[in-house]
Amino acid sequence: MAIIELKDVCFRYGKKTPYEIKALENVSLTIEENTITGLIGHTGSGKSTLVQMLNGILRPESGTVIVDGVKLWENPKKIGEVRFKVGMVMQYPEYQLFAETVREDIAYGPKNMGLSEEEINRRVERSVAFCGLDASILDKSPFDLSGGQKRRVALAGVMAMEPKILVLDEPAAGLDPKGRREILSGIKRYKEESGTCVIIVSHSMEDMAMYCDKVIVMSHASVLANGTCEEVFSNHQLLFDAGLDVPEITSIILALRKKGVEIPDNIYTVDGALSVLLPLLKEKGGRI
Amino acid sequence: MSFDVGLGQYYEGKSIIHKLDPRAKLFFVIMLMVSIFVARNVASFALLVAIVLLCVIISRVPLIVILKGLKPITVIVIFTAILNFFFTSGENLQPMFEPIVVIPNYWTITAYYEGLYNAGLLAVRIITLLIGTTLFFSYTTTPIELTDGIETALAPLKKIKVPVHEFAMMMTIALRFIPTLTDETMKIMNAQKSRGADFSNGSLIKRAKALIPIIIPLFVSSFRRADELATAMECRGYRGGVGRTRMKILRMRGRDYLFIILAICLLAGVILLNLYLNGVVYTL
Repeated sequence: MAIIELKDVCFRYGKKTPYEIKALENVSLTIEENTITGLIGHTGSGKSTLVQMLNGILRPESGTVIVDGVKLWENPKKIGEVRFKVGMVMQYPEYQLFAETVREDIAYGPKNMGLSEEEINRRVERSVAFCGLDASILDKSPFDLSGGQKRRVALAGVMAMEPKILVLDEPAAGLDPKGRREILSGIKRYKEESGTCVIIVSHSMEDMAMYCDKVIVMSHASVLANGTCEEVFSNHQLLFDAGLDVPEITSIILALRKKGVEIPDNIYTVDGALSVLLPLLKEKGGRI
Repeated sequence: MSFDVGLGQYYEGKSIIHKLDPRAKLFFVIMLMVSIFVARNVASFALLVAIVLLCVIISRVPLIVILKGLKPITVIVIFTAILNFFFTSGENLQPMFEPIVVIPNYWTITAYYEGLYNAGLLAVRIITLLIGTTLFFSYTTTPIELTDGIETALAPLKKIKVPVHEFAMMMTIALRFIPTLTDETMKIMNAQKSRGADFSNGSLIKRAKALIPIIIPLFVSSFRRADELATAMECRGYRGGVGRTRMKILRMRGRDYLFIILAICLLAGVILLNLYLNGVVYTL
């Protein structure tokens, strides 16, 4: 079932000035419940604008946004309510930490929701565990932590609100490979245990292929493709035209195919490649 | 991305006004300001408005852009104009209508034609002043040019050990980071809004408290940025103004001198008009 539905959404920055930029043009899409959806596109393709529509940070110029059956902006005064339903982790969220202790910072969102003390504590501890942080960190100052830890604290702060939909804008940007893996697999685990709908904005095709069920490709303010990983990544030409790339492993497979090796072209994870290449190698005696 | 900063934005162009030496612009704006405050009669205001509009046309900055930049101060202009209208009083003035008594013996509202005149002049005064300064200082001059101009204009003060270069550098950096900070504030506000922060409802104290989650991250990142900038500058060999050479050396040309003469003529013209029409050089 669709939990998010956008219909003909348009948005421009710097309306009616010489600096006007079209950020979204007639964007219509649906996002399914209980999936991880990846949103990819080149810089300035409208990804961040799109996700900011989902929790009412930006108001579409025209078109409608429906989240969990509720049409946004019907009553602008109540727009705050959707923010408890859609948790948003912005780019470089570590710069939004402000409280004296990690516990207080994570509790900020739940407190704004008006939850009880015990419930807040339960949620704080639960989200800290999901983000792979030790409970001993809770009484430290967030400003004493390392960059990767800060990022996770910020993430935990949004997870603690237990939103129905979790949106992450470049959650792994600027982290080392280990930090990337830990954050992304933590998000995947969280989704599996809580059944939350997750939307991840990213540049990395590899991450998308590995962690997402569905992928939306954006280019020049509109949606270019929307489907399962398999459907989208097998359409190589479309990705190249959008100024994007296929996952590295897919380029290798494509290169092999060009050399005459007979393998399918819809492989986009390392595991997938292994399962095709290993039998082939065995069959041909170690050489392809 | 923040595109809504109207006041204080450079408008790319190649007009004569863009190319003028910033020192000449500085002088012109000072003269313009003095003229606006000295002006006493409709004729001088007509002259000033005409000159400013002429400059706008020459600069090719669309009038609509400039008027949009004035939006934030419309409230102030209207408010001061209204105050002026109602608080103008005198013995032999002609009232516009019968005085309205609100509280007998304490508060009667009277309005005079002179009040209307004063309010109008005041509004014109503020608006010309703002259009003049923003046109010359922000729409047609980059902040770097401006501080360069101030630095060279104030260079003689270095002789009495005033750290002119350091002040100019501080000003450049401060101006440079205004858009960055606006951007950052927007981002942090959005992030905290996403966590359910509410800045527009509740009592004054509640709203002030709601600002803490914005101000603290803003301070933290400003300090971090200052630190990084200082390191970056030192890495590139910056060590203050002593012995520093410039890539672009400001040079006054014929048109700059012409512009300065024009500025002096403007002030002289306004004073002469005062003398002829009001019989005084300058009154408050």
